[in-house]
Amino acid sequence: MNAMEKVGWTELIVSIVAVAVATLLVPWLGSQASGSAFSLLALIGLLSYVFMRPRGDRIVIDERDREIAKKATSVGVGTAWFTLSAAVARATVWASYSNTHAVSTVFLNWLIWVQFAICFGVKGLASVVMYRRQRHAS
Amino acid sequence: MPRKKEPTLSNCIRDLRTTSAMTQQELADQVGVTRQTIVALEGGAYTPSLALALRIARVFGKKTDDVFQLDE
Repeated sequence: MNAMEKVGWTELIVSIVAVAVATLLVPWLGSQASGSAFSLLALIGLLSYVFMRPRGDRIVIDERDREIAKKATSVGVGTAWFTLSAAVARATVWASYSNTHAVSTVFLNWLIWVQFAICFGVKGLASVVMYRRQRHAS
Repeated sequence: MPRKKEPTLSNCIRDLRTTSAMTQQELADQVGVTRQTIVALEGGAYTPSLALALRIARVFGKKTDDVFQLDE
């Protein structure tokens, strides 16, 4: 498994864990749960640095990794934008129908954090799938 | 309108490498990629860039056409 595949797995696992921890912490921390749990996403940056550190003269990332990363990023960002737009549209419609004409800041906070998790999670999943496909293609 | 099938690129990197008694890691180091990319290339799962194809051909002292074939 090369460095970028490890990064893909890290993005996928950390995103799932962050969403799970945030959901589990709600009964204790309430609206604060999202900020606390989603700070776990910082692990992605930390572990990516560890995996991609230079190792002598050996190549860590090459053209195939960059190509996969580019495709996976566009899938992840695209999915996150789509779900963000859908969630905002739904919240707007809900606020209009319920006559509150306001959207809770707690909801918006959750929405933003969940989008980050979706973006990294889908990006990680897409890169893992692409690496596995290339490994089993022959 | 039916779409034209994408042509695939086959190669004889594995044969040339074993003939040269070279490991995948040695070839990877010489052409500036990871060993996993050589694995993907030999398995026909990855189509290299033109620059990489030229570097691989140069390592074996062959023309690009001798290493890579377009299957249409």
